[in-house]
Amino acid sequence: MKNTLVFIYLLSINFLLSQDYYVYVTAESEDEVSLIKFDGEDAYEKEKIQVGIMKTEIEGPHGITVGPDGKYWYLSLAHGNPFGSLVKYSTESNRPVSKTKLGLFPATMEISPVTGLLYCVNFDLHGDMKPSSVSVVDPDTMTEIKKITTGSMPHGSRISPDGLFQYSVAMMSGELFEVDALSLKVNRVLNLEPMMHNDHSHSSMMMHSSVEPTWVIHHPSDNFVYVAGNASNEIIKIDLKSWKIIKRVKTGKGPYNLDVSKDGKYLIATIKGEGKTGVWRLDDLSFIMNIKNSGSVSHGIAISPDSKYAFISLEGRGGEPGIVDVISLDKLEVVSSVEIGKQAGGIAFWKMED
Amino acid sequence: MKNTKNILLLFTLMLSFTVVSQELSVESNLEGITLKIGEEFSPNSYAVDRTGKKIDCAGVIYYNKKGVFSRADGIIVDRDLGKIIANKPGNHEVVALCVSQDGQRLSRTFNVEVNYPKTKEIKIELGGDKIYSDTYVPLNFEVIDELGYKRDNVLFKLSSSNNVLEVDNYNNVKAIKPGSASLEASYDGISANIKINVLKNPVTKIEINSNLEVARTGDVVEFKATGYDSRGREVNNLPFEYSFSGKAVDKTTTASGLMLDDGRFVAEIIGDYLISASLGNISSSKRLKVISRGVEREIIKVGKGVVTDKHTSDFWVFEGVDGRDYAVTGTWGADGTSFFWDVTDPSNIKKTDSVRVDARTVNDVKVSEDGRISVISREGASNRKNGIIIIDVSNPYDVEIISEYTKNLTGGVHNVFIYDNHVYALSGGQRYYVINIEDPANPYEVGMFEVGKEGQSIHDVWVEDGIAYSSNWRDGVYLVDVGNGIAGGSPSNPVAFANYDYPSGAHHATFPFKSKSTGKFYTLLGDEIFPDGVDENNPNITAGFVHFVDFSDLENPKEVARYELPGQGSHNYWIEDDVLYVAMYGGGVRIVDISGDLIGDLYRQGREIGYIMTGTSNGYIPNATMSWGAQLYKGYVFYSDWNSGLGASKVSKLKPDTSKENQYINNVPLID
Repeated sequence: MKNTLVFIYLLSINFLLSQDYYVYVTAESEDEVSLIKFDGEDAYEKEKIQVGIMKTEIEGPHGITVGPDGKYWYLSLAHGNPFGSLVKYSTESNRPVSKTKLGLFPATMEISPVTGLLYCVNFDLHGDMKPSSVSVVDPDTMTEIKKITTGSMPHGSRISPDGLFQYSVAMMSGELFEVDALSLKVNRVLNLEPMMHNDHSHSSMMMHSSVEPTWVIHHPSDNFVYVAGNASNEIIKIDLKSWKIIKRVKTGKGPYNLDVSKDGKYLIATIKGEGKTGVWRLDDLSFIMNIKNSGSVSHGIAISPDSKYAFISLEGRGGEPGIVDVISLDKLEVVSSVEIGKQAGGIAFWKMED
Repeated sequence: MKNTKNILLLFTLMLSFTVVSQELSVESNLEGITLKIGEEFSPNSYAVDRTGKKIDCAGVIYYNKKGVFSRADGIIVDRDLGKIIANKPGNHEVVALCVSQDGQRLSRTFNVEVNYPKTKEIKIELGGDKIYSDTYVPLNFEVIDELGYKRDNVLFKLSSSNNVLEVDNYNNVKAIKPGSASLEASYDGISANIKINVLKNPVTKIEINSNLEVARTGDVVEFKATGYDSRGREVNNLPFEYSFSGKAVDKTTTASGLMLDDGRFVAEIIGDYLISASLGNISSSKRLKVISRGVEREIIKVGKGVVTDKHTSDFWVFEGVDGRDYAVTGTWGADGTSFFWDVTDPSNIKKTDSVRVDARTVNDVKVSEDGRISVISREGASNRKNGIIIIDVSNPYDVEIISEYTKNLTGGVHNVFIYDNHVYALSGGQRYYVINIEDPANPYEVGMFEVGKEGQSIHDVWVEDGIAYSSNWRDGVYLVDVGNGIAGGSPSNPVAFANYDYPSGAHHATFPFKSKSTGKFYTLLGDEIFPDGVDENNPNITAGFVHFVDFSDLENPKEVARYELPGQGSHNYWIEDDVLYVAMYGGGVRIVDISGDLIGDLYRQGREIGYIMTGTSNGYIPNATMSWGAQLYKGYVFYSDWNSGLGASKVSKLKPDTSKENQYINNVPLID
């Protein structure tokens, strides 16, 4: 908590003075991570960091997050022999500090500001239709302390603002999981399929979801989470008090990642199948517009803490470079773009500074 | 905006106070505890501030610092019971992570000692049939505790009942004179005895013979010692000890080699050697002259097919249906392109066509035996479905994609092999599938093989004579019958019948090899190790070596030799006529004579025929050799280089041309 407070303290000072924004972005088919700096007008690649160990194997950096104190960033390498791994890097040097092995295809992750633990889903993207897990890691010791069994192909690991719950969705079994960040147990499971009861307990019967949820994000202050239905082309709003779906809104083809602006104004979704970024009003999920991205296969989102900019990663196809688009949330348009390595994916906001 | 700034400034000041005022640490009854095996302990942890005031944690999470993998079973944390359970002896670290009432996260590591159970039994066994005076006594010990665990690295107290045996400070036991003695091993209050009868050395004379008087470096020379008693009668079944000494021709280096217990010896350096066989104080020696192997040959670079804008991956050279010769190369970390080449004239390699598929890496490429079908692997497809692409290459000047196949292969295909109308395709680095391509437009899965262990992993598969050789990292090589008949297997029913693994766990590629000169059957198992990580824009350090495993006895494979190029690891390779063509990354393609019996370190035995540095000045990364693979085809050594593309060289029958060598190079004469 102390570290968090220090970070917020520094962030607050920064806000009073700063205009530079920094994000880390993975390039999954390049085994690289790029540090992007955006000065309010132009974005550029400040540093390119080679990651992975095996030169002749693609290890697939997929998920990335920055710790609450801003001192370290954490990267999931999807491929190993066969297990993937989590690597801790210093933001000061961008050099690796420590590493631990996780499950099959570890993907997205976030750190709880309360427990200080990192919760990373083991996506097992190419595995059988069977439950996978959330790995809980103490980033201090880089020890995986528990694997919590959830659904098939879990993705989109996000922590509630109070730090007490971790949410993820199971892409193939079409479920939303709520994990108690302290007891390290699954608290609740919600089936996201349409035309079905929403309040049943976790079924052991594995089905192929028609929703294929890929992301979940918590409202910045209220008791709602929002899920991207990648196959059903919708955003699903869930009331955490009643643990029920209360709204479904249609999107373009293949909504993938979601983020909400800290000011509670916008919900942003990457529309992967169309190379677009969709914008909705968070309060009523009314659609505002789709913004055409600079490339194809829109992937990740990181919104700056001042709610001014959304940084969007674009995978591209084949030999196309990955791209990071910077969208002004005032203008609702792409104001700058920068090319990085192939298959830009995971993206994490680091800091603002003068 | 001004109001916002003021609020934030106030907030930051408040935070400053909060941060300074919080100084908590974790206390726990875990501190200094010692447990017995099987004992359960309920930890109680809390926070204290600087004044020592106790503050309850809102929650405490305990964990074994080794994590959740199977190696971390020494201490088990049962969160439902709120207990830790001592499972294995030793010192274990348990972390108590306290989330305090005000949301502050604190943690501390505690050392938990788990005592070894009391020793229950010590077993001693003799390692040989007969013990002769003036020899060391071979002994095997085993210590078992009350819970049935075997203890390793136990330092016994050994003592002899009399002066027939002598025990040194390191528990080596030497038979001093004929007689009988009781050897006692004691530990932890338990002791065991063994009676040892020391026989008088019956041998008064040893004769030593060998199959060669003069050998080349790398030749395995068989020495055989025979012992005779004082009456000149031969004594059988004697445990001779063989050793060697020697002087190198080059006085600045050391005569070196490998002497095996059975009397086989291989020399690495030119020189004069003395091989000795002894039994107690009786010994005999025999000289051996070792000369150069003399296999070096001139290697002529013939032609190149340079790829200037991408990394190149694997390749395959084949005879087309028109009788001309062609090659296909993949690309790595690029745009999914594969190139096709006409290599009929290796000095004039010409690009004929290319295909680009939705992928970033086409790691492997293969062509069917009839030269009609090529299969390429996909990784990094934008739809993440990957799989394989089947291509009609009957006209390499106009290749056509026939079909794609992705079922069960979405995790990426790193390597493929085509054998008898079936594709063997790796899936997600965990298993391989067997896909029938008799109708290449409609491929279908017929079988699958996996090791079946937790954490199973695979890197490559190679099929020859109906046997699939899969390279499974730490699980080593698996020999699988996919039609040979040795184990009743078929493509739809792959049956594993042999396996060998080795400690490093870096097993990456396999090549089966039946020695023409000895008839022995080996598998060559290559490591893939990047000890310092990667740098894609500069030369890299690689490590590991090629393991030679004698598989002549399928149930008892033995690792007998290695090829290790200092500073360079191995990648892919080819063997023909007892010659190994091995891509050694930055060390280029190495051409190695592997004829004859194989033991020891083949690189140091002067077996290298020559080498090819495969980098080019106009490569994707200029002059940075990074050899990927090699294939001998119609007398030419073809190779692919990660940074340069395709190339061809020729091994000349001539000795290397030394006319341009620096005059000050002190060449060692071939024969002293």
